Amino acid sequence: MANIRDVAKRAGVSVATVSRVINGSPNVAPKTAQAVSAAMQELHFTPNGLARGLALNRTKTIALLLPSIVNPLYAQMAKGVEDVAHSKGYNVLLCNTDENVAKERSYVDMLLERRVDGLLLMTTRLEREDFAKLSERALPFVIIGRNIETLDANMVYTDYVLGGYLATEHLVEAEYECIAHISGPLSQLESREKLLGYQQALRQHRLAGDEQYVVAGDNEIEGGYLAAMKLLNMSPRPQAIFAANDLMAIGALDAAKTQNLRVPQDVAIVGFDDITMAAHVEPRLTTVAHPVHKMGLIAARLLFDDIDSGTAEAFGQKIFIRPKLRVRNSCGHQSRLQQIFN
Amino acid sequence: MDLSVEFMGLKLKNPVLVAAGPLTANGELMRKAVAAGAGAVVSKTIVNETRPKVRPRLAIAGDGMQNIELYTEFNLEEWEREIAYAKEHGAVVIANILAHTPSEMAYIARRVERFGADAIELGVACPHGEGIEGLFADPVQLYEFTKSVVAKVKIPVMVKLSPNVTNMAKMALAAEKAGAAAVSAIDTVRAIIGVDIESGKTILPTYGGYSGPAIRPIGLAAVAQIAQAVRIPVCGIGGISNYHHVLEYMMLGASTVQLCTSLLLNGVESLDGLLHDLAAWLEGHGVAGFAELRGRALTSLKSFEEIKVEPYVSQARGDCPAAACEKCLKACIYGAITRAGNRIAVDPELCTGCGLCLSVCPDKKFDWVWK
Repeated sequence: MANIRDVAKRAGVSVATVSRVINGSPNVAPKTAQAVSAAMQELHFTPNGLARGLALNRTKTIALLLPSIVNPLYAQMAKGVEDVAHSKGYNVLLCNTDENVAKERSYVDMLLERRVDGLLLMTTRLEREDFAKLSERALPFVIIGRNIETLDANMVYTDYVLGGYLATEHLVEAEYECIAHISGPLSQLESREKLLGYQQALRQHRLAGDEQYVVAGDNEIEGGYLAAMKLLNMSPRPQAIFAANDLMAIGALDAAKTQNLRVPQDVAIVGFDDITMAAHVEPRLTTVAHPVHKMGLIAARLLFDDIDSGTAEAFGQKIFIRPKLRVRNSCGHQSRLQQIFN
Repeated sequence: MDLSVEFMGLKLKNPVLVAAGPLTANGELMRKAVAAGAGAVVSKTIVNETRPKVRPRLAIAGDGMQNIELYTEFNLEEWEREIAYAKEHGAVVIANILAHTPSEMAYIARRVERFGADAIELGVACPHGEGIEGLFADPVQLYEFTKSVVAKVKIPVMVKLSPNVTNMAKMALAAEKAGAAAVSAIDTVRAIIGVDIESGKTILPTYGGYSGPAIRPIGLAAVAQIAQAVRIPVCGIGGISNYHHVLEYMMLGASTVQLCTSLLLNGVESLDGLLHDLAAWLEGHGVAGFAELRGRALTSLKSFEEIKVEPYVSQARGDCPAAACEKCLKACIYGAITRAGNRIAVDPELCTGCGLCLSVCPDKKFDWVWK
């Protein structure tokens, strides 16, 4: 098999010049670059990625740490990350943290060992000293989902309190008075924030927030189904349910069906996330768009800004992405105009 | 003749720009626009997250066009190449950008600044795709977006304003206060271009933006209002297809103008004729620079209190051989105009001086006279 010396010989240039061509350096005359490319083709030479990585101190690999790859929401985020990474010639490693900080830390250690070029941390449980360690090792990273106000780092975040508020307020505007909430596991900050938004909206509109109407689910379809079954058997039965994610809202749709209840006539349901499936269930699910694809795109862009430039300017950028209500049919709010202008 | 202008600190070879849209969708199109004579190009709207184009998305009816196009189909990384290409070919590139929060907007602004854009236009005024009130109806929000961008970039920032609000001057003031270097107006007017009454369906499948000659009077009024409210320069947009329109916008306060629809329909090459005519008019009128003209017509705008009620009536100028034309007769709701053979006459006792006959007569057979 031909090596870089053979290519240099065939092209009549130095090994260093071949190396510059391979790495896309601008300091090569176009004619020389052409000669090198031709020699590489003739000799069926492909650069050794591993050797190249060692020389450049780059592995051309970034990692995306997610809470759960089972939730299609995070697949959309991964797609956004991959769109940018691929255009930059990078691979993406996917790691599932299960929102377990020990597991997340072990992944970070593993990834440091593997010399990845950057980390994207979705819904991270890491703490100040973990971030300090990353900075010490000069490993670029971007935090997704959370805004840690006291930390100076790249972040792409949204506002779950506002999201919960928007969903609940929409149900209040549709004139429901008994509005229940299926929360995510309350050990998660995100779930607590959505619950807070729900409570704020009820308070704002002077509706009593009876605690029995808040049932915790597990962020999965199954948990949504079980929580909704519990709620639908209460007396008085809630007129509307805001589920903290779309998977649980889909579980709630199922529960309503088993109880022979019509959605939205007998019970209205609103979700959170706007996963692709939300627009395809029956009735189409009203939800709060959690623009994770876009967050993935921006997070990857921030990461590559940092990897490529390494300057302070590429650091400490905090970008807020607004959650947005997507009105469809499961809420019983008959505003076609709002749907069209969604 | 030298048509060059300075706008937001940029030196432009002339004040006629190609607006954000299909004609500036990539580097090659921007190069073509500059080759055709454009003083600068405003890129198609650059966003973080692209979306596929719907088909069809453009429709013409009467004097206007409806579009339901959203933004670019190129991702942010690809715009680096497109902007560089246009700039290599001598383009002054104003990057039109859109995002949904101030921090996101500032991020894209910084990226396009690094790509080499000469200035930024905030594309916050599109009437479709961004909610019923879009990002354009709230002056506080507009202020926050603009301020956040201005703080993060060194290149000038222009804010594009929507006519779909009740008080455009308020929006222009918010942009100025936030540090914008200029405002451009108008973006398209929210519209449904028509209904196919046989199928019972709208021509295009959603609400869109109206452009073309039909919106020029709306654009003129907007530019005048803005010019009377703010000190930063205004870029006039809406229904411009010849030098006459350019001058109208300038006399109402515009420093530069943007074109899209007419170039889309007549070819971007038609810019050459427009620029030639513009230079010829200026030369013919002994005008040395656009500054002499800018805002000239604004002084003729008065309050109702200032408009004196003068006893003018219309008077026919004798014979009118166009017997088949009854435009003036039909248009006079006061019954003041009569025709006897080839003669038309206005009864000064019945005429209330509304002015419609002067306006509708194709042969200009009427004059104003003091009653």
